[in-house]
Amino acid sequence: MSNHFLFYLGKISAQIVLDFLYFPLWWYSTGLLRLLKSLGLFLQERWMVIGAGVWLKNIFVPMYGQRDFTSRAISFFIRLFQIIFRFIAFIFFILLSLLGVFAWIAFPVVVVVLIFNKIF
Amino acid sequence: MRNDLLEPIVFQEDDFIKISKNKVGAVFLGRLLYFAPSFKKSLILLHRAKARVDKIVNLTAYVFSIAGVLSLLFWVYLNIDLLNYRPEELILFYKSDHPLILVFLISLIFLMFIIYRMSEKKASLNKIKNIKEKKNSNNQVIDYKKIPRIDVYKTLSDDFLIILENSYLLAHKLRQKEVSTIHLFWNLLYSPVVSSLFVRLNVSVDKLTSLLKKYLADNKKENQGDKINLSDHVQEILLSAFSDAYFNRHPSINVLNIILFCYHRNPVLKDILYELEISQDKIENAVNWFRINEKMMADYKVFRKMARLKPGGNMNKAYTAVATPTIDHFSRDMTVMAKYGYFEICVSRDKEVRQIFEAFEGGQNGVLLVGHVGVGKRSIIEGLAQLMVKEEVPSFLKDKRLVELDVSRLISGSNPAQAQERLLSIIGEMQKSKNIILFIENIENMMGISSGSEESLELSEVLAETLSRQGIYCLASVSSENYSRYLEGRAIASAMTTINVAEPEINDAICMLESKVSWLENKYGIYFDYNSIEETVKLSSKYINDKFLPEKAVNIIKAAAVRNSKLAAKDPEKKICTKNDIAEVVSEITGILVSKVSESESEKLMNLEQKIHERMIGQEEAVVAVAGSLRRARADMREGSRPIASFLFLGPTGVGKTELAKTVSDIYFGDEKYMIRLDMSEYQLADSVKKMLGDVDGTLGYLTEAVRKKPFSLILFDEIEKAHPDILNLFLQILDDGRLTDGQGRTINFTNSIIIATSNAGALFIQDAVKSNTEMAVIKQALIDEHLNKVMRPELINRFDGIIVFKPLTLENVLSISKLMVKKIEKNLSKKGIGLLYDDDGLLVLAKAGYDPKFGARPLRRLLQDKIENEIANLILTKSLNRRDAIFINKKGEVEVQKAKKL
Repeated sequence: MSNHFLFYLGKISAQIVLDFLYFPLWWYSTGLLRLLKSLGLFLQERWMVIGAGVWLKNIFVPMYGQRDFTSRAISFFIRLFQIIFRFIAFIFFILLSLLGVFAWIAFPVVVVVLIFNKIF
Repeated sequence: MRNDLLEPIVFQEDDFIKISKNKVGAVFLGRLLYFAPSFKKSLILLHRAKARVDKIVNLTAYVFSIAGVLSLLFWVYLNIDLLNYRPEELILFYKSDHPLILVFLISLIFLMFIIYRMSEKKASLNKIKNIKEKKNSNNQVIDYKKIPRIDVYKTLSDDFLIILENSYLLAHKLRQKEVSTIHLFWNLLYSPVVSSLFVRLNVSVDKLTSLLKKYLADNKKENQGDKINLSDHVQEILLSAFSDAYFNRHPSINVLNIILFCYHRNPVLKDILYELEISQDKIENAVNWFRINEKMMADYKVFRKMARLKPGGNMNKAYTAVATPTIDHFSRDMTVMAKYGYFEICVSRDKEVRQIFEAFEGGQNGVLLVGHVGVGKRSIIEGLAQLMVKEEVPSFLKDKRLVELDVSRLISGSNPAQAQERLLSIIGEMQKSKNIILFIENIENMMGISSGSEESLELSEVLAETLSRQGIYCLASVSSENYSRYLEGRAIASAMTTINVAEPEINDAICMLESKVSWLENKYGIYFDYNSIEETVKLSSKYINDKFLPEKAVNIIKAAAVRNSKLAAKDPEKKICTKNDIAEVVSEITGILVSKVSESESEKLMNLEQKIHERMIGQEEAVVAVAGSLRRARADMREGSRPIASFLFLGPTGVGKTELAKTVSDIYFGDEKYMIRLDMSEYQLADSVKKMLGDVDGTLGYLTEAVRKKPFSLILFDEIEKAHPDILNLFLQILDDGRLTDGQGRTINFTNSIIIATSNAGALFIQDAVKSNTEMAVIKQALIDEHLNKVMRPELINRFDGIIVFKPLTLENVLSISKLMVKKIEKNLSKKGIGLLYDDDGLLVLAKAGYDPKFGARPLRRLLQDKIENEIANLILTKSLNRRDAIFINKKGEVEVQKAKKL
């Protein structure tokens, strides 16, 4: 019985140690990929909410079905304004995501360096 | 999307391959599915110990992280004075050399470790990966040794893995050779999901476990070796469950995937479940119920998310739409209603929705949904509106509005010319705005509205013409009857693609009902078991013939919910709605006895003859035959597609033929009013068929209409020999198929009716034969051979369940009848506070006077009227008879008054 117990204990503790050693590697490989993926989904959703694509696609289509020249001209500029405004909003979210990626990469390094400085 | 276009694969018996001595495999989308590991007790224990240690590690990491945060807070507390003075120091906390800060920094590593563990845990839930199917060119037989393999073990959910391991441990403990389906099933019952599934199926889990336990105890085998394999059947279940999970896009194999395939794999288990009234269909439908609820929750989340993005007004996202004042005035915006959650979820109608898309994509501008009232045409359109909100539609429907035209509003308060102008203006707006899909419910309302002279267009033709132009999408619905009556062959019908919306199959209807039940359960605070839902669909489909699924079933289940919630206030047991409750509701609504035969009723049925004889005198043979067939019907032993029973009563007039019919109606259906009586002497002409069945012009048939309204009734055809031969041909169909088609094309169901035909044919012969003491069997045969075949075709005579000859009444019979009749008079008098007494000899005098073998009991009735009732009426009118007085029929059969004592 005790033999078995020791066998299990050895095997399990080895696994935990491996897990702990593997996790920094994971942080910069699989973990980073997963972060990028979820940020991609986040941006996709933002893009849909902001709807700049719809405005861009219809840039020459007059608004409210008004097809005379003046309306078309007004419509074009309004749409242009909308597109610029919406793109700016989207760029904000891109920057936010980039900040997230940067934080992910830098965080462990900063923490380890700080600890290192404190101890030594 | 996981292989959307593929039909789900369900493995058959011969799809499984033996890949080694103890291993079963199956080819699945070009891969070999198999179950790799062989269990060992030590490995299982290791796995469990690991899981426990994992938990401890996670807990430790959490504790360290929290300790770190607390350290930081404590550091802030210690330095609160400094921080008040220089708050920026808070951001620069890491510069402090305090050990608490070091603790905090180290705890951050644990925080990252937690993030790692959680992310891995979440990723590990998704175990079934998408398979890219390789094209199998030339349909070659696949060599399973050369294709890639999938180990099903790696796709088991954590919960199920524990159950499978427990099954192994159970087999190990019982020293079995292999892990059988029974071991697996036993352990499945410990899963909360499975036990709640069996609760829904109204199966006592205790009873089930005790049956399984008994089997396991009886079948202990000594294991030869120490290796225990999963039995072939268990492996087959695992492989089938993989396929099921794959096509249902489940992240891993869970207990519900497994439970679906247990039934067929083991004959013993099948017997045990069969004993508890569980079938494969029931398991599948109940599992579906769980899945529908899950799907509805998941769909709802997506729906709410997408609904936020859908514009709530009449402007589209691109701002290209124009103002549509006419449309807004005459219609309701269904997409907006869907956005704000006004519509219920539409299930099992994917086929019809796909057909709508295909029709529009194929260049059609109009789609017409044709189906019976209540099959769910509107529900399909509402489902479409929801899909449009989710934008899960082909691109030409994206960013569009679905608006419902209110035809009554369009027509009301206007003359036809104005209505046409309104319609044209609506169509004009649709063309300009380009983001509108029009829906017209009951399009037949637009038919026949035309302005001006005969040649001018009518409203529907205006619509039909515009539909031939491009850029307009229009949906419409019409009931099947109205389609054939008003639309078929008209311009509007040819301008639109017709999609037939069929009445759903039983299992589909059950799914539809299941999707509505949780809402009812919440609203009324009651609980439905699976059988109640199945029973609702089955009973409504069997007994309600003039309405259609799923509506008729939904109405029943709603009625049951209301009824049980009221009853539950007094009796908490009624909170659970069972199939008996449903049967009672169906009985109440249709008047048909469908509920389980209660004890008092079964006693009544067993004493039916006695019960009938309380009203009927003599005619033992007839009574026995009728009682027997009623018992068969109530025990549900009859054939489904024929009337409950059909009899031909033969005999002279006044012997009780009609009386027996009345009695049966009273006893079996609960009231004499459930008797539909048709005097065949009124149907002697050739056009009587129309009178009976109704006509295309809308005239309702006497017979068909009566049976349609009261399908559960006794139909008495009096003096059948007088009917026109064409009508007799109709009887052939009623007696054989149990149905008739009426003039309007509706099918009238006779399977819940008792049919009795009476005939006087050969009455004289019966009297003479009975007088000469001929045996009844001989009389009957002679009647059929010599008398009946003159008036009826032999095949019709043959169709009746029983031909019953009524004997002429004897004097004793007539005496008993006169007693019954006098009792009736007594009953009437007692309402006025007057009693009735009689002398037996007096009654005999009356019976003798009223007895005429030729006319049966009829002269007696007349005699009692003349001699007794008339006298009494005179006495009452002359005020010689008051309350508390009594009538006495004396020895001579005359009426005397016995005055009451004065108060």
